[in-house]
Amino acid sequence: MKDFKTLVSESAKVHGHLCPGQIIGVRMAILGCRLIGLDDPTCHDQIKKLIVYIEMDRCAGDAVAHVTGVKLGRRSLKFADYGIMAATFINLSTNSVFRIISTEEARALAPYYAPEVAGKSAQQLEAYKLMPDSVLFRVQKVSVKLNDYDMPGPTRKKMTCSRCGQVVRDQREVIIDKKPVCRPCTEDTYFSDAHEITWDHMDWTPINGTNVSDNNFFQKHNL
Amino acid sequence: MLKKIRVQKAVGTRLAHDITEIRPGEFKGAAFRKGHIVCDDDICRLQKLGKNHLYLIDLEDDEIHENQAAKILAKGLAGKGIHWKNDPKEGKITLHAAIDGIISINIASLAAFNMIDEVMCATQHNHRLVKKGDLVAATRAIPLVMKRAPIERAAMIAAGNGGTIGVKPVNNLKTGLIITGSEVYSGLIEDGFAPLLSKKIEDLGSQIRSVEYAPDDSVLIKQAILKCLDSGCELILLTGGMSVDPDDVTRSGISQAGATEMNYGTAVLPGAMFLSAYIDDIPLLGVPACGLHHRITVLDLVLPRIMAGEHIGKKELAFFGHGGLCMDCKECSFPHCPFGKGV
Repeated sequence: MKDFKTLVSESAKVHGHLCPGQIIGVRMAILGCRLIGLDDPTCHDQIKKLIVYIEMDRCAGDAVAHVTGVKLGRRSLKFADYGIMAATFINLSTNSVFRIISTEEARALAPYYAPEVAGKSAQQLEAYKLMPDSVLFRVQKVSVKLNDYDMPGPTRKKMTCSRCGQVVRDQREVIIDKKPVCRPCTEDTYFSDAHEITWDHMDWTPINGTNVSDNNFFQKHNL
Repeated sequence: MLKKIRVQKAVGTRLAHDITEIRPGEFKGAAFRKGHIVCDDDICRLQKLGKNHLYLIDLEDDEIHENQAAKILAKGLAGKGIHWKNDPKEGKITLHAAIDGIISINIASLAAFNMIDEVMCATQHNHRLVKKGDLVAATRAIPLVMKRAPIERAAMIAAGNGGTIGVKPVNNLKTGLIITGSEVYSGLIEDGFAPLLSKKIEDLGSQIRSVEYAPDDSVLIKQAILKCLDSGCELILLTGGMSVDPDDVTRSGISQAGATEMNYGTAVLPGAMFLSAYIDDIPLLGVPACGLHHRITVLDLVLPRIMAGEHIGKKELAFFGHGGLCMDCKECSFPHCPFGKGV
């Protein structure tokens, strides 16, 4: 694993800015990897051994993802929308699992650890570098039940929605009256009022070279 | 796990904790110690102490008793120069100075420790002078029975960087005094600084190696500093010439002598025009005229720390601000007053 300073610098670049959350996230990831015995999680040998559940869609989440290399598309990054500054690190090869929680008291303690730094954010940023892990985090040994359909690798199962024909992967279908139904058809979704549309330059491909921006394509559709 | 039983049914059981008796203004202590086997004769006294029920303890594997917790906490908290005994009284362990010196508290660690629900530690103020055996701090777990994990986490926090609470020895430093001012040098007025500062230095266990006098001439002040350094002084105090007049050239003399770090001005009254400087690792302290008038000044806050090996730089002088205002009381009670206690 790269050194802390490099990881923070890279993470801030990927995330878009340097903030206290980057420090928390980088340190959480370093600790998590250490606890589950992975010293270089982004290297070829280790990348397939790791799954991380992230419980916050905040700055620290990006830092955890950057340091560990977990990705949504690789199915190694799982998002549990709990609104808690916590992440769970799973080593699939050893079944070693630890949940790390960022402590609330760390915020209150920032003025004690970096009294010479003015400004809340700058003070937290500096203090979070100085606090020992035992102050920044609580750690729980936990069990996580992963079924085959949550694992990285090729799609295990495809079903077709009995109502709309949409293909649903990895057992995310809902069974209603013994028939598979996709989530949108159950209306238990984050969106509503869905209706199909057509749009300008529907024939566009990267190859045919139509310059859609010249036709106010994005403005028209608020994209 | 705790099980509550009526005191009348407690005969033959062991007490789960010390039972405290308080007689206002007269006594506070353990009437019964943990482990005492309750007998018939105890029932009435326990009831007089307000105990109609007692706890029986059946510890789970991941639980510990307050006395075990106190031992773990004290071990984590205690750094160098601290002595403690594993003999909790009413669940509390006291930490004492194992040597003469100044108290050294890691305030951030202490705050982090006390943020954990189940534990507490109260201390004397940082940097205070103590004698061997003096009480420095006390710790205890709050509940009677608790999970082991938070106690161990608190102890880990406390143990970081060599422990949260320590006592540093105040070293014997060979000290040079340089009394500046043409009025003293020429004999127009009698020097009051040398006897006053000598006493302060000697009271802290150090010795005066040399006393030099220099007029308001930065070159001669520089030469006096170099003479002190050549004679092996490990600390140099300079008086006078620290203010804003044209004749105040002591700072210039210190600079010419080769000071690599100079911090002029402190957030302390009296002592705003105090200076700390270093030539290599030798500290030079510029004492303004207030040192003659006031019994206690910033010098009394700085000297013990310098002698304990602390570096007093810009940050340390700035942090004196909180609590750095002497109230100039008719009867001075320093070091028992708030002066200098904010750091």
